[in-house]
Amino acid sequence: MGAKILQIEYHLPERLVTNKDLEAEFEGWNAEKIEKKTGIRERRVVREDETALDMALTVSSRVLAGFDKDKIDYLILNTQSPEYIMPSSSCLLHNRLGLRTDVGAIDVNLGCSGFVYGLSLSKGLIAAGIAKNVLLVTSETYSKHIHPKDKGNRTIFGDGAAAAIIQQSDQEGILAFSLGTQGNEKDIIVPWGATKHRYDPGAEEIADPSGSIRTANNFYMNGPDVFNFTIQAIPPVYHDILEKNALTVADVDYVIFHQANEYMIEYLRKKLQIPEEKFYKNMLLTGNTVASTIPIALKDSLDRGLIKKGNKVLILGFGVGYSWGGTVLNI
Amino acid sequence: MKKTDFFNALKDILEVDVDMTDGTNLRQIPEYDSMAVLSMIAFFDEKFQKKIEAEEFAKVTTISDLIGLIGADRFE
Repeated sequence: MGAKILQIEYHLPERLVTNKDLEAEFEGWNAEKIEKKTGIRERRVVREDETALDMALTVSSRVLAGFDKDKIDYLILNTQSPEYIMPSSSCLLHNRLGLRTDVGAIDVNLGCSGFVYGLSLSKGLIAAGIAKNVLLVTSETYSKHIHPKDKGNRTIFGDGAAAAIIQQSDQEGILAFSLGTQGNEKDIIVPWGATKHRYDPGAEEIADPSGSIRTANNFYMNGPDVFNFTIQAIPPVYHDILEKNALTVADVDYVIFHQANEYMIEYLRKKLQIPEEKFYKNMLLTGNTVASTIPIALKDSLDRGLIKKGNKVLILGFGVGYSWGGTVLNI
Repeated sequence: MKKTDFFNALKDILEVDVDMTDGTNLRQIPEYDSMAVLSMIAFFDEKFQKKIEAEEFAKVTTISDLIGLIGADRFE
């Protein structure tokens, strides 16, 4: 039994942080230069009292408009910002949505590969006859992990959420996957606050060479090493996705990579010789929304007519873990 | 690669119009920031198929340090 994405919606929180705001806050930070180098002009962040679960509820309600929620028989929530250590945020979302009791709900703790992994699980559940209508939600608030004085990461990341209904289908809407993992606790990490080392309110501030400040309780990312990793590891994955699906880039109508930052994905595009007109590149008003960048890009592409029914779209997510995955969608 | 071409490429990457030599101290160029390091990684990958780790970049002060990372034998 095949699976297809029936509909996608996304939600960005209200609070706006523009490059101008960052320029006013951080000396030497220039709004125009930020936009030119990162492709980001503004990003949204949640309020103090707003969480990833709240955004998940908002976006789920949006995607369920016009759909009988009693038909949802499995819920997957991808987040690295759970409401609590336990219970699972998916169970809480399930309750808030008022879904049927006889359905499964699980959290997935992945970053930028989360949506693709969620699709792979949804496809499997449907193929195995375990579910017919999966609600897949990605919701992230890296703003809660990033130190207020970490200008670098506050520039790059934005909060946001997306939801998709994945439904069983006679036609296969989600083709073969290429997935991969290379565990790394050095390059992208929030060191303290889980079980290895408790959150410490007295943690000392550490400055990096550019003047960005964080503590060990905060998000840390080694940009150059992540870039190095990406440009080495991702090209073979792209080729593997095409090969597994017996396609060439000419057969693919559109390519959507995780919108990490404009510089990195443009470098990948050139390296992989993907034509510009087939390549999605847009994080201007969102920043990097982690697992939501791909579903947001899909929704945006559909709305703008960049992709349409019958198209083949290659998607590829990669990031913290390191974890990566991609597939081809029949829209 | 010719050294002069390398110097010109660095000028483009850093978006500066400063005369570059082996002894130029990159740390004294304000434009040598985190974005510039990414651009350099891309440049080294494309032109030399060489991967330079962040740790190695951290030890670079002058252009000749950069040349040393890539390998002096790659330059004319």
